[in-house]
Amino acid sequence: MNWDIGPTLLQTVLQRWMARFWRIAGAVNIRIKIMGIVLGLVLLLGFAVTVQVSQLLAQNMYLQLQEQGISIARDLAARATDLILINDLYGLRQLIRDTQINHSGVRYAFVVGNDLYILAHTFEGGFPEGLLNANQVTGEAYAHTEILQTDEGQLWDIAVPIFEGRAGVARVGMSDVQAVQIVNIVTGQLLLTTVLVSAIGITAAMTLTWVLTRPIIGLVGAARKVEQGDFSPHVPVWANDEVGELALAFNAMTAALAKNQEERAEREQLRAQYVNRVIAAQEEERKRIARELHDSTSQTLTSLLIGFRTLSDTNDPAEMRQRADDLRSVAANILDEVHSLALQLRPSVLDDLGLPEAIKRHVAECQKHHAINIDLAFTGFDDHRLPAPLETALYRITQEALTNIIRHAEAETASIFIERTVDKVLAIIEDDGKGFDPEQVGQEGHLGLYGIRERAELLSGRLVIESQIGAGTSLYVEIPINGISKG
Amino acid sequence: MFPPKLLYICLVVCVLLAGCQAQVDAPKIYLSALKPLPERPESAVIPLRVSVAAVISPKGTAESYQPLLDYLSHSLARPVELVQRRTYAETNDLIEAGYVDLAFVCTSAYIIGHDAFDMQLLVAPQVNGQVVYYSYLIVPSESAAQGIEDLRGKTFAFTDPMSNTGRAYPAHLVQQLGSTPERFFARTFYTYSHDDAIRAVADGLADGAAVDSLVYEFALARDPRLAQRLKVIHRSPPFGIPPVVVSPHIRPQLRARLQEVLLGMSAHPQGQIALKSLGFDTFVAIDDSAYQSARELIRKDQGQKP
Repeated sequence: MNWDIGPTLLQTVLQRWMARFWRIAGAVNIRIKIMGIVLGLVLLLGFAVTVQVSQLLAQNMYLQLQEQGISIARDLAARATDLILINDLYGLRQLIRDTQINHSGVRYAFVVGNDLYILAHTFEGGFPEGLLNANQVTGEAYAHTEILQTDEGQLWDIAVPIFEGRAGVARVGMSDVQAVQIVNIVTGQLLLTTVLVSAIGITAAMTLTWVLTRPIIGLVGAARKVEQGDFSPHVPVWANDEVGELALAFNAMTAALAKNQEERAEREQLRAQYVNRVIAAQEEERKRIARELHDSTSQTLTSLLIGFRTLSDTNDPAEMRQRADDLRSVAANILDEVHSLALQLRPSVLDDLGLPEAIKRHVAECQKHHAINIDLAFTGFDDHRLPAPLETALYRITQEALTNIIRHAEAETASIFIERTVDKVLAIIEDDGKGFDPEQVGQEGHLGLYGIRERAELLSGRLVIESQIGAGTSLYVEIPINGISKG
Repeated sequence: MFPPKLLYICLVVCVLLAGCQAQVDAPKIYLSALKPLPERPESAVIPLRVSVAAVISPKGTAESYQPLLDYLSHSLARPVELVQRRTYAETNDLIEAGYVDLAFVCTSAYIIGHDAFDMQLLVAPQVNGQVVYYSYLIVPSESAAQGIEDLRGKTFAFTDPMSNTGRAYPAHLVQQLGSTPERFFARTFYTYSHDDAIRAVADGLADGAAVDSLVYEFALARDPRLAQRLKVIHRSPPFGIPPVVVSPHIRPQLRARLQEVLLGMSAHPQGQIALKSLGFDTFVAIDDSAYQSARELIRKDQGQKP
């Protein structure tokens, strides 16, 4: 045989057995697995102990049987000596009968004379064939034991020389019936114990599995409900163990999921509102531009056209120059208006001059039109520009915040503080206005704040609102600089 | 290559077969199937049957007489069988019946045998240059008894009902005090051998016993510790030593041959060893008159026994 295939064959067989094991072990539930473990252990232990104990006991019993047999045979030989020497055959017969009666394990006893003829024996009406020569002993020996196979099972035949063999040999046959009985009784009791312990083990295993699987089954049911979108189930915590911890964690998770779900729904609603407002604002802006173009630019262009017509009717060069100057001033006005319009649409100053300058100008513009005092401070801004999306976001956030303050806060003073550090930008916008309840943020009517939060979170930043009714408002906006790439 | 399952089956079958083989070895003996025992065949050669009276225990006798039996067997070129019986009377019966050819008997057994059926003297052993022996009255060494009179109401061990030294002489002593052994002693018992009587006293089983002086000296020589446990408080007058006798049925030629062999034993090295084993110097011829003193004693005791 080729021995190289040995390990491969073994591996294949092992793999097959493992696969079979997993197929069986995997197909049954924990209840059966635990019962299998408990029952398996109890039975294995029980049977191993039974086999071991009965074997040891049997060995011990057989050893004892043999020793007992030797001592009986030696006693018989010692007592038989004088009886044989004085030819007291009746006494000898009585002696071996007494030997058999007084020792329960003795199946037979007989005495062989030195001429190899049997002097006395315990059998009635004959003597078994082959027994006489089944065991022999020399005159110098202490005893000789032979295990005989008989129709009554194993027998320990012990031969002891009488008077160093000069008076013959005493033979005693020890039956193992009693030993076997004792071994059987002990084995039976051990097996009964095993069965009883197995029964207790099954009960214990059932209780244990019930204790173990009850919370798990509850968790499974709850998890199914969560899967279907029902965050209401609250799993009871049965015990303070790992499964209990799992139940606690599960409950915390469902609570967090439920809260998240709620927040997401709110935010979704706000987003829809915001989009609507953005669209409305766009429309509004278009209307305003159209109105602006129509009311202002069109009017001034019309007056420019009229001016040109009257200019063509003028012959006086001086007047013509005068009118041309007027027209130029009208055109300059139109240019201003168009410029202003363009500026309002998109502050090119942000692209050209950077965030601090753009905000300064917007603040100046606000102060020009509204009676509010605005403090402005920048820290950490140097020649390095922030990434464009971040600048835009911060500009719009400031713009929105100022708009809110002007429209709603009824504030006299506002302050804007923007700090740039290595990895983030912090903007703090405060006012001394009437304030509001931050808990209400997110509901309808605070779309401006929602927009600010949206913009900040788009860039992995966050918004913190501190406000109290009658005590002003502070907005803290923090946006990481390296987070831009993610956005 | 074999499929692996086939290999497993082969392996299992091999293991099972190996297990079975170990079980089947010795042939069965049927304890319930009993057959009659074979008859003991008559021996073609008839052995010379030698009987030794139970002066000492059967095992002790067998041990100490074995060299003598071997010597006889060698000298006569004939197997020799030792025949022992519990009592002197049984031995005498065997001699009378002619079953036993040669016998070492006690003095009293000879006297009774001689008077009853003509038991014939052959030779007598000589011990320490003498052909006489005594009856020793022995007691435990710590006993305060000074003589037979101090043993009144005690336990006394007799050897054999027919014994001269072990029964007839102490009975004679008691009679001289005007009593009978059964009345004089609180309890008496028979040990059927002199060495057992010595042991009975040494072990404190009996408060006293009368024993063959030859056996006592021999026992002390073999086991000197006995001397510390026993003491002799009385010695009888000498009696004729226990003789070697033959059956009245023995052929005269054999009788002559036996006498010749025994008397010449001390001249042979093997014979000397056999004599030493028995504590004898040699064998000498002896006359029935040497036993007259014992004969009178025994007649008295025999006549008195219930």
